[in-house]
Amino acid sequence: MTVIWSRLSCIVLLNRGQRNISLFSNTTPSNWNKVVSDAEKIVGYPTSFMSLRCLLSDELSNVAMHVRKLVGTKHPLLNTARGFVYDSRNNLQMRGLVVLLMSKAAGPGQHKASDVFPQDMVSGIYPSQRNLAEITELIHTAFLVHRGIVNLKEWTNSDGPLKDMQFGNKMAVLSGDFLLANACTGLAQLNNTKVVELISSAIGDLVQGIYHEMPNSLEDKSLTDDINMVTWEEQRFLSHGALLAKSCQAAMELAKHDKDAQGLAYKYGKHLSLGHKLNSDLQPFVKNSSAGPVTFSLNSAPVVFHRQIVGQERWRHQLQQAKTIGTIDYTKLRSTIKLEEGVTSTMDLCRYHGNKALESIQCFPSSEARSALENIASTVTKF
Amino acid sequence: MATPWRHCWRWTIGSTSTGVLETICGFNGRSATFAASSFRGTGAVAGSGKEGLSSRPVNTTSIGNYILTSRHKSRLLYPTPKPCCCKRIHSDAKLKDPFSLAQKDLNHLYDDIKKELFVSKSELKSLCDYYFDGKGKAFRPMIVVLMARACNIHSNRDGDLLPGQRSIAMISEMIHTASLVHDDVIDGSDKRRGKTTINEVWGERKAILAGDFILSAASMALARIGNNTVVSVLSQVIEDLVRGEFMQLGSKENESERFKHYLEKTFKKTASLIANSCKAVSILVNSDPEVQEIAFQYGRNVGIAFQLVDDVLDFTACASQLGKPSATDLKLGLATGPVLFACQQFPELHAMIMRRFSTTGDVDRAWQYVLESDGVDQTNYLARSYCREAIRQISLLRPSPEQDALIRLTEMVLTRDKKSATIELVGGELTLTGVPKNRLCQATWMQC
Repeated sequence: MTVIWSRLSCIVLLNRGQRNISLFSNTTPSNWNKVVSDAEKIVGYPTSFMSLRCLLSDELSNVAMHVRKLVGTKHPLLNTARGFVYDSRNNLQMRGLVVLLMSKAAGPGQHKASDVFPQDMVSGIYPSQRNLAEITELIHTAFLVHRGIVNLKEWTNSDGPLKDMQFGNKMAVLSGDFLLANACTGLAQLNNTKVVELISSAIGDLVQGIYHEMPNSLEDKSLTDDINMVTWEEQRFLSHGALLAKSCQAAMELAKHDKDAQGLAYKYGKHLSLGHKLNSDLQPFVKNSSAGPVTFSLNSAPVVFHRQIVGQERWRHQLQQAKTIGTIDYTKLRSTIKLEEGVTSTMDLCRYHGNKALESIQCFPSSEARSALENIASTVTKF
Repeated sequence: MATPWRHCWRWTIGSTSTGVLETICGFNGRSATFAASSFRGTGAVAGSGKEGLSSRPVNTTSIGNYILTSRHKSRLLYPTPKPCCCKRIHSDAKLKDPFSLAQKDLNHLYDDIKKELFVSKSELKSLCDYYFDGKGKAFRPMIVVLMARACNIHSNRDGDLLPGQRSIAMISEMIHTASLVHDDVIDGSDKRRGKTTINEVWGERKAILAGDFILSAASMALARIGNNTVVSVLSQVIEDLVRGEFMQLGSKENESERFKHYLEKTFKKTASLIANSCKAVSILVNSDPEVQEIAFQYGRNVGIAFQLVDDVLDFTACASQLGKPSATDLKLGLATGPVLFACQQFPELHAMIMRRFSTTGDVDRAWQYVLESDGVDQTNYLARSYCREAIRQISLLRPSPEQDALIRLTEMVLTRDKKSATIELVGGELTLTGVPKNRLCQATWMQC
């Protein structure tokens, strides 16, 4: 089994050069790749290595061996596991990269009496901040895995053998827990209880956010839910923003930067994440119509805006009209939504968050790390 | 509202409560001394003396072999009661049982936990609160509270808990519950503490999230204590819990390795939480590493004994009115202490262990082998020696009522019974092959 994983790590190594990490699938890959590879050079750290220590542990090699049994089944863990190695959709390790850039942009700590010394820094980043970046990734990955747990009662025979799903769940629970446990011990080693509390609260936020996003029953509750954009933003902050915002803040705390700097870093993480989420929600609406079949969540930002604009009554009517034999014709629904202001409102909101993110880092001294953060923030507002 | 977490613990050790080891001492001094020295010699049971945390001793096969070859079964099997070492405790009528000593500190335990689990979303809140209904045993918080008080008195203070120690009692129960919630998903269980499990009611996805949420709340409470060493010690528990669960996935071909593997898994899955929580409360009041080690070793030994007894109960306690024991572990493919001991007498079990009792009829056959063997007795015997070491450790502290309570608690660990078995007992119908009736009647550790 070590063989498998050393092979996998080779793939990671090989893929590093031409890795197609895309935060936003719409942005031209070359454009985005340049942003990432430049950023990686700045932090002096190949971000793909970040969770490698964990991936190469005995426990996860064990899982890897077992996951092979899942090949051919529909368990979501399979895709998540593939994502560990090469990922083009899940923005693998982007959070870690942002935390490192933020650490570098903020520079050495201000307090002379503190126990952090500039000479400990490597490429302008404290070792503790590098560990934090890794922890952030571990937590993010743990929840990618835990999101993929299958509810066994909703599983039907036509979906394949129940036994496979049970087994897949077992592996998913264990490997997610393993990543979280490593995050916990990693946090403890940072020797800063404020950071432990902050990141633990981010885990709690993440759980709440993911919980909100789960459909309550097979018939999607969202169809009747009177959700508005204010709640949408609150919930998406929990599920997509809290971890990055709090990690950025924690990176400042580790370097003993003052409350103001911590607040700014938090803001950057928050607005960047929300901008990113809005951008990816927009994708089905801005892509070329001819590019194959579309689907989108009825809880994605443009739809929620649209529902708010047209009102619950008309929305239900429109939804009914887009249905043929019980299934939604998304292409038709999209055309209906595009007639109103939902899409442009989402774009405006996305630009707002991108600009807020840009604004929040202007107080940091001008540096290549700051420019990289600015590049990332402005990429968010391109559709 | 003070949740009546404790309702009513009936502590009914009768005259039959004398320990096996003590009894051997009385009846059979020479071989028992030999037995005891063989434990020491191999470092088998105790984390005796100055052993580091890392050297968790595990060479138990030698015990097994010794028990198998040199002892006479009849002497070990619950002989006529004869009070000896426990006399000091039981004769003192003024001493209260461990629960009442700890109760004052645990009155608000579940309310405090629910406050930590603050969420706006009502459904997630009800999932998280589900097991904190006041009906749990709060076994871990009780040990933690008693240990904290014992350490405080040892450190020339009054017994009263420090705020951080109170938090640790709460956190220990939270970590335990979070791991139960995940375990139930992993094992596909539908019942826990007489309730339908979270995964059965709300589905696996939500159950896992609820477990994660409880863990994050525990971790926040831990951080707020503000002590980095305490954070490290309890984070280790979380890692141990997961590693222990991973260890359960594999089985070892070699028999001695298998026993080592089993005890290491037992430490990680059960004892680590108790040992490290005990250590954490000692750290908050006493900087002496020796005191911290005593707290850790007490928790470690009690924890392993607790799990060994639990593994025995899986064979002897009754899950249903029919009086048929549950054998849950066998059904999950797990070979616990009684099976591993039985395998030394019946090598036929080896193949079944290796295939994790997966062939039809394996569970029933393994079950029969275990009952025909000395597996149950030997596991109990092993548990007893862990308890003895726990007593030896805690006795190194300055005497206090809490220290006494911790000593008596080891006896409760050995004689406890699952609630379901107790119900059977109340009906007075309990007859189990391989388990003498008085063994089950010795003590009833139950809730009303």
